[in-house]
Amino acid sequence: MIIDKMEQSLRPVETPMMPYPEKYITLATGEKMVVRQIAREEVPLVLEAVKPLINVEKDFYDIVAARVYSELLGYYRYRVKDEYCLIGTIDGVIVGVVNGRMVNEKVGMSYHTLTLRQGLRIGAQLFAAKMEYHLDYLNQEEVWIVAESPNGFKRWMIEYELESRPEVWHELGGVPTYVLTKALWEKHKASKCTGRRPVSEKLMETSMNPNLPETYAQIPGYKRCGK
Amino acid sequence: MRQVGIVGVGHTRFGKWSGGTFMDMLCAAAVEALDDAGVKLREGHGIDQVFVASMGSGMVNRQSGVASALVDSLNLRPAMAETIENGPASGASAVKLGYMAIASGLCDAVLVVGGEMMRVISGWEGTDFVATMLHTEGEYNYGLTLPAFAGMFTRLCMEKYGVTEKDLSIVSVKNHENAMHNPVAHIRLVPSLYAIAEDEDANVINPYVADPLRMYHVCPVSDGAAAVLLCAMDVKDRFLKKPVKIAGIGQATDTHAVAEREIPTDLLAVRVAAERAYKMAGVTAKDIDVAELHDAFQILEIVESEEVGFFPRGEGHLAARLGDTKIGGRIPINTSGGLKAKGHPLGATGVSQIVELVRQLRGEAEGRQVQGAKVGLAVNFGGFGNNVVATILTNQEED
Amino acid sequence: METKMFAYKCDNCGELHHPKHYVCRKCGCRDFVEVPLEGEVILLTYTKVYNLPEGYMKPFMAFGIVRFENGLTVSGQIECEELHIGMKLRTTVGVIKEGVGKDYYGFIFKGI
Repeated sequence: MIIDKMEQSLRPVETPMMPYPEKYITLATGEKMVVRQIAREEVPLVLEAVKPLINVEKDFYDIVAARVYSELLGYYRYRVKDEYCLIGTIDGVIVGVVNGRMVNEKVGMSYHTLTLRQGLRIGAQLFAAKMEYHLDYLNQEEVWIVAESPNGFKRWMIEYELESRPEVWHELGGVPTYVLTKALWEKHKASKCTGRRPVSEKLMETSMNPNLPETYAQIPGYKRCGK
Repeated sequence: MRQVGIVGVGHTRFGKWSGGTFMDMLCAAAVEALDDAGVKLREGHGIDQVFVASMGSGMVNRQSGVASALVDSLNLRPAMAETIENGPASGASAVKLGYMAIASGLCDAVLVVGGEMMRVISGWEGTDFVATMLHTEGEYNYGLTLPAFAGMFTRLCMEKYGVTEKDLSIVSVKNHENAMHNPVAHIRLVPSLYAIAEDEDANVINPYVADPLRMYHVCPVSDGAAAVLLCAMDVKDRFLKKPVKIAGIGQATDTHAVAEREIPTDLLAVRVAAERAYKMAGVTAKDIDVAELHDAFQILEIVESEEVGFFPRGEGHLAARLGDTKIGGRIPINTSGGLKAKGHPLGATGVSQIVELVRQLRGEAEGRQVQGAKVGLAVNFGGFGNNVVATILTNQEED
Repeated sequence: METKMFAYKCDNCGELHHPKHYVCRKCGCRDFVEVPLEGEVILLTYTKVYNLPEGYMKPFMAFGIVRFENGLTVSGQIECEELHIGMKLRTTVGVIKEGVGKDYYGFIFKGI
């Protein structure tokens, strides 16, 4: 694609980021969830998975879904610097989405965690995978975190013993910023982060070109028509 | 003394109640039971007394005098009404009081509804609310919780009898499998034994809640209501269905502070309550065909199955390993899914256990029916075992 | 400032109690004498709790049931890394819960 000068000037310069090495986790039902990073071209598909939740008021799904949608669109259209998105898939269906970005070498900015399939603590696992990416693979020193959902946030705040850092401003605004430092990650990661690598070719195949969820427990009566 | 039977049962889907208010939830279970019995909700309804079992209607839902309100909501005025609180054993206690009201001759027909709406508060507030049943100075003020005592109790059972974490998972999986055949169960998902007990990821996927108890060994937080209509056997023809008789009731209390229990691995109140119920019903453990045992923590199902006499002390987990407590096994336990998978709205649980036994004894437990079940036992565990109610039901006519 | 915890000894038969009882568990009498409750204890059972009630903002806390030399068995918080049944701990008294206007004191058992 030919990029003209104007477009070039609107695109942020991208920092080379090591890709997230995919892994798989055996969930409580015995199902295997593949956790992998998406390529930019896959954003439109993920947007379709997220879209139905934009109208679900319960449990803050609407604001999280709407913001994830806009963040991923920003990533897709080259308007956000150094953003990434990880998805979880089970049997070839997208079950969760997490995203964030690198602010600089040292600091990561956690954006959102959106669980599509409920009941298996998928959100907790994807959040941990995100933290793993920033602190173990991108070799950053800390990740800044805020949340929309009070209960979910309190759980992370307590479980990871997040450091309160009200003086810094998180890009998502809202409540005071909390920080997961490398030290806190080292302390808690054994009990929070799991999964095996490498993912077999056969399993990985299921995760590529994943299907969108047919139904959403959050939206009673919803059924996807077409793709 | 007059004989008492159950002629109607009702049960909401346990989980997150989104059908309206707390009162709506109680009404939903109540009308199902009344419809089941063929009672018309207008003048001449014949219901003399309503008991509502709920531990948190005041503390959590900020409503008192719930039974009085329910009578009006159901158009059952001027029936007598009381709200009964006995912690997680509120349900069975309310049924016991219903039994007493009829057996004494005071009433002919009594409606008992148990209900709890806990998912309106956060998990931490819920844990705190449940902990209020503990000894204030000696336990609650320390931040001790029911799971904490269950964890300590489990550790002792592991030490003394060799119960393993995998045994707890075996019981949990059995209960989840049973719940898949129970349309009112909260959790409709079966964990894989391998995934929660043995896989490399198991330690993170099934984390400790109060070690050695893990997440999949502990019941969920649920909203829900269940109802039964009791009647004197001598007026049973007023109602549609053949009654299931309440053959025996037993109850016992134990020390409040758990540290003061005589034998720390015993659930003495369970043993005494069951003995009293067996005596009243004129049966023994061998006569029980199906049981609902209070399994808020999976260790409790194992130990209760021993204390009520199904297995020798220290062998309940061995029986579970062999499949003796599955549907089709020697003594099916928690065919409903138990508190683990069916859910545990505190006040509703005792009534819910009895609803399941009635369905089993009527032959209405589709998909999870214990063939030819004649006698059922329910054990409803209050506090951390300091107040236990055991109820025995039978579908047999003669005593 | 409370820095001591007490057992309650029945004035009639000498039976020790903790926590406080209104009526003696052994003989039914209702008069008690305060006796300091302290010293070395044996750990009977313990657990690490990860889901604490409202107000406790830590990821986990350890609790245990211990036996004092005088035979009393009592619950308390534990601050000690490695735990096993039968080990000895020492008794301290500290703030077990912060309250509005008043803090609650109780047993915190620590490593020797």
